[in-house]
Amino acid sequence: MTASGLTRPGERDRLIVKIGQIDWFFCLTLCLIAGAGGLMLFSIAGSSWEPWAINHVTRFGLCLVLMIALALFDIRVWFALAYPVYAVGLALLVAVEAIGDVRLGAQRWLSLGAFSFQPSEIMKIGIVMALARLYHGAPAHAAKMSWWLLIPAGMILVPVVLVAHQPDLGTAMLIFMTGAAMVVLAGLSWRIIGVLMAAFCVVVPPFIMFGMHDYQRKRVLTFLDPESDPSGSGYHILQSKIALGSGGFLGKGYGLGSQSQLNFLPEKQTDFIFATLAEEFGFVGCMSVLILYAAVIFMALRTAYISHSHFGRLAAAGVTVTFALYVLINGAMVMGLAPVVGVPMPLLSYGGTVMLTVMIGFGLVQSARVHRYKEITSGKGALV
Amino acid sequence: MSGPQIFFAEVNERQGAFHRRAFLLGGLAGMGLAALGGRLAFLQIVDTQRYEKLAASNQFNFKLVPPPRGLILDRNGAVLAANRPNFRVLVSRDKDVDVAGALKTLAAFVPMDEARQLRIEREILSAPRRTPVSAVEDLTWDQFSAINVRAPELNGVTADMGEVRVYPDGGAFAHVIGYVAKVNKDDLTDTGPNADPIMLHPGFRIGKQGVEKAFDLELRGRPGAQKVEVDANGREVRHDTEGDIAPIPGKTIQLTLDIDVQNRAMEVFGEESGGAVMIDCRNGDILCMMSAPSFDANRFVRGLQAAEYKALASYERKPLLDKCLSGTYPPGSTFKPMTAIAALEAGIDPNQTIFCGGGVSFGGRYFRCYKHSGHGPQTMHDAIRNSCDVYFYTVASRIGPDRIASVAKTFGLGQIFDIGIPGQKAGIVPSTEWVRTHRKRDPKWHPGESLSYGIGQGMLTVNALQLAVMAARLANGKKALNPRLIRSIGGVERPSGAEAPDLPFAAEHIAYVRGGMAAVTEVGGTGYRASQLGLGDILMAGKTGTAQVYSYKAGMPRGQSGPWRLRDHGLFVCFAPIDQPRYAMAVIVQHGLGGATAAAPRAREIMRTALLKDPEIRARIEQPLPMPPFAPDAEEGAVPDEPTELPADIAGVQAQGAPA
Repeated sequence: MTASGLTRPGERDRLIVKIGQIDWFFCLTLCLIAGAGGLMLFSIAGSSWEPWAINHVTRFGLCLVLMIALALFDIRVWFALAYPVYAVGLALLVAVEAIGDVRLGAQRWLSLGAFSFQPSEIMKIGIVMALARLYHGAPAHAAKMSWWLLIPAGMILVPVVLVAHQPDLGTAMLIFMTGAAMVVLAGLSWRIIGVLMAAFCVVVPPFIMFGMHDYQRKRVLTFLDPESDPSGSGYHILQSKIALGSGGFLGKGYGLGSQSQLNFLPEKQTDFIFATLAEEFGFVGCMSVLILYAAVIFMALRTAYISHSHFGRLAAAGVTVTFALYVLINGAMVMGLAPVVGVPMPLLSYGGTVMLTVMIGFGLVQSARVHRYKEITSGKGALV
Repeated sequence: MSGPQIFFAEVNERQGAFHRRAFLLGGLAGMGLAALGGRLAFLQIVDTQRYEKLAASNQFNFKLVPPPRGLILDRNGAVLAANRPNFRVLVSRDKDVDVAGALKTLAAFVPMDEARQLRIEREILSAPRRTPVSAVEDLTWDQFSAINVRAPELNGVTADMGEVRVYPDGGAFAHVIGYVAKVNKDDLTDTGPNADPIMLHPGFRIGKQGVEKAFDLELRGRPGAQKVEVDANGREVRHDTEGDIAPIPGKTIQLTLDIDVQNRAMEVFGEESGGAVMIDCRNGDILCMMSAPSFDANRFVRGLQAAEYKALASYERKPLLDKCLSGTYPPGSTFKPMTAIAALEAGIDPNQTIFCGGGVSFGGRYFRCYKHSGHGPQTMHDAIRNSCDVYFYTVASRIGPDRIASVAKTFGLGQIFDIGIPGQKAGIVPSTEWVRTHRKRDPKWHPGESLSYGIGQGMLTVNALQLAVMAARLANGKKALNPRLIRSIGGVERPSGAEAPDLPFAAEHIAYVRGGMAAVTEVGGTGYRASQLGLGDILMAGKTGTAQVYSYKAGMPRGQSGPWRLRDHGLFVCFAPIDQPRYAMAVIVQHGLGGATAAAPRAREIMRTALLKDPEIRARIEQPLPMPPFAPDAEEGAVPDEPTELPADIAGVQAQGAPA
C-alpha cells in the first residue's frame, strides 16, 4: 500500500483498506492485557478456567470482534449517533432514578426482562460522543471563554448529578473528569481553569463531611488513616497493600499468592485483581502491565493527535481519558493511594460491563483512526 | 465576536490548542503512571519485608496441641490415672455456619436428643467465634469415621482425636487422686500458668481435686503447636508438619499407695462409711488411704449431670467427703495409749493397780466404765488390754490435760502433715491453753474434763491419717515418722518420712504401751477375735475404740435399731508384725458401733493383704515349719555326727516328700 494509492477517490472506503488502517499493534496490546487478566483469573480460581477465566477470555474475544466491527463504521455514523446516544443515556438515567433496582444499597441497575444493565455505562460513551460533536461545531473563542460554555457544562453536570445521586460516586467522578478533560482539551481558557480549581478546593471538604453517604464518607476517611480500622473499612486497603508488598521484586510465583489464594484479598477477581498480579508476579509483572497500559493510552492519544476532524480528535481523546482514569484510579486504590471506590482495572478485572464499555470506546478510537482523513461537514453532521 | 472570522484560522487555532493540550494530557497520564510505578517500587522493593511478615502472619496460624497429661502410678508402677484416646466432634461458630443444622446432621450419626442439641447449641453460641466446642465425645470408630467423611461438607464441624483422663480404679482412689474436669471461668487467671491459652482448648482438662489438683502444673506438661495454613475465614487449608512443635508430656507422679491394699480396703468397707489409712512404719509411706463410700472419678471427667451430683451430695454417708483427711472424729479408746505414755512420762508406776468397780465418782458426776460390773484391780498393761475406762479416768485426772495433749501432739494428733494434697482438717487436741484461747465462753479447764480426755472423748477429735501416724510412731517406737504420699515426681524421689527426729520419750515407755497393745489381740484382749491374721507367727497388735457420738437417754433405741447417724463410731489402730513392725494402720467406721466388731475385722483384712504382698513377710509365712527334732539312733549311726549338716538333711528329706 502506498500513500499514492490511498489518495485515489473511494480507495479509503474499501473494506480491506479500512481493515489495514486499524492499529493492529494496539489490538495486540489489548490482547496482552486481557490475556494477563485471564491468567490471573485462572490462578485465583485455583488453577481452574471456571468460573472466571473462561468467561473473561470469551468476552474479550467477542468484544474485540465488536471493536473491530465498530472501527469500520464511518466516523460520520458515530457523529450522527452522538446526540441520540447521549439522549438515550440521559433518559435511562432518569428512568433508573424512577424505577431502577436497588442493589447493594445503590440504585444503578435497570432491568429489561432478564437483562439488566447500568445506564451510567452508556453515559460514559455518550458524554464523550456528545461533547465531541458539540465542540466540533463550536468556534475556538466560544470554547475558550464565553457564555456558550454553559451548554457543555450543563451536558456534563446533568448526568453527573444523576449518577452521583444513585449513588455511584466512582462513575460520577469518572464522567465528570472525562467531560472536564474534554472541555480543557477543546481549548478552555486557563483563567477559567484556575478559578474552577480554586473553587473545587473550597467546595470538596464540606461535601465530604455533609454531602456523602455514610459508607462513602467512611471509605474516604479510612483511606486517610487505614490502620484505624484494620478489620473494617481499612481491611481492603491493608490487605491489598500486604499482597502487593509481599510480592516483592519477582513475586511469589504463579498460583502461589497466599493473600489471594486464601481469600484475604477482597474482590480479588474484580477491583483488586492488580494486587493478585502484584503478589504473584512482583514488581516486574506489575511494571510490565503498567507499560502495556501506558502503551494503550499513548497509542489512543496519538490517534486523537493525528485525526483531521475535531470530532475524531475529541472523541478519541475523551475515550483515552476515561481509560487512563480507570487505570490510574484503580492503581492508586490498590496501592493505597486513593480511597476504595468501585473502579475496576479495565481489561484485567473480571466483569463484562466495563469491558464492553471500554471496547466500544476503543471502537470509536479506531474508527477515528481509520477515518482520520474524513471530513465532517458543519455542525449539522449530515452523512455525506 | 468581533471582526470577520477566518475559517482556516479558526480550525488551526482549535487544532493547535488541542495538540498542545493533548501533549499536556499525555504528560499528565505519564506522570500518573510513573507515580504508580514509584509507589510499586516502594511497596515491593523498599518495604517488602514488612509486608512479607504481615502476609505470613495472615497465612499461618499456630494451633495449640494439648500435652498428654502425666500418669499417676502406685508404688509398684500400677497405673492409677492414665489417658485414653477419645474420638470427638467439635463444632465452632462462624458467620456462615449453621450450628443447629450441623447438630441435626450429627444426630443422624450419634444418638442425640433435641434437648441435648439445644444445650450444645447454646454452649457453642456463647463461645467466641471460631472456637471449637466439643459437641459429642467418646464416639466409636465407626461413628467417628462416618462423621469424619462428612465433615468437609458440614461447615464448622471437625472430627478429631483427643485424649481423655481415665481412672482404671475410679472409686478406690477418687479422694486421693481427685479428678480432672473442664476448665471453667474461675480457673482462668490473667497471669501465671493459668493464663496459658491452652486453657481454652476444648480438649484441655484441669485438676480439680486431690493429687490432680495439687500437682496440676507438674502433670500438665507443655503444650505443643501445629503450624497450619488458614484462609481469611480462619479455616485450615493445609497442615505444615515440619513447622510443628511437639508437646512435652506432663511428669509422671508415683504415689506410695498400693493398688491392691487400697482396693481391698474399698472392698471390705462395703456400704459402710469411714476411712482406712495404712502407713509403712519404717519410712512413713502411706500404702492405703481410702475413704468410703466413694464415687467414680471418671464421671467427673465426662461432666456430671446435675441429678448425679445432687444424689452424691445429698447422700447421708457423704461420698464426696474425704473421711481420711477432712473428717474428724473422737478417737475413743484408741487414744488410751497416749494417756498411758503421758502417765508413764509423768512418773506413774504402771504396775501399781487401780481398782475398777464399774465407775468412778468425780466432782458430783459418776463416770462409768463401759463394763458396768467392773474390771477389778488393773495394772496399766491390764487396763490397755481390757480398755478399762476407770484406770484411765484416774490417771488422766492425776496428770492433767496438758501432759496428755503434749504426748498426743508429739504422736501426730492435731497435726497437719505435708503429704502434698490439701483438705486435711487438724481436729482438736484440747489443753488448758487451748480452752483459754479457743473456748471464749468458758475459758477454764474443768477437772472433770480430764477424765473424758483420758479415754479419748470430750472435745478431742482427730482424723484417720493422724491416728495412723500415731500407730506408726508407736510401732516404730523411735522416730517421729512423717507420712509420705508422693513417692516421686517425674522420677525425682521425694524425701522419705524416716528423715525425722526421734520421739522425745523413753523407749521403754513406748515398748510398755506396745506390750499392752499386743495383749489386746491376745486371748482375753478386747480385740482378740477380730484381729487374728491367721498368718502363723505374724501377729497384729492393736487398740480398739468405740467413740460415743450421742448421749442416749434411758429407753432410747440404740445400737442396730437406733438411727444410723446417732450410732457410735467404731475405731481400730493396729500394727503388724508385732516383733518387727512394718505396717501400722487406723480404721474408722463411722457409726459402725463397736471398734472390735466394725473396725478391727476390716483392719485385719486390709493388713493381711499388705502383709501377704510383702515378699519378706511372705517368705517368713511360707517358711516350712521346723521338723520335730530327729531322734538319732546312736546304734545305727546312720546320721552323721556333724550337727551343722542337719538342716541340709532336713531340707533334702522335705524335698523328696515325707520320710518313710
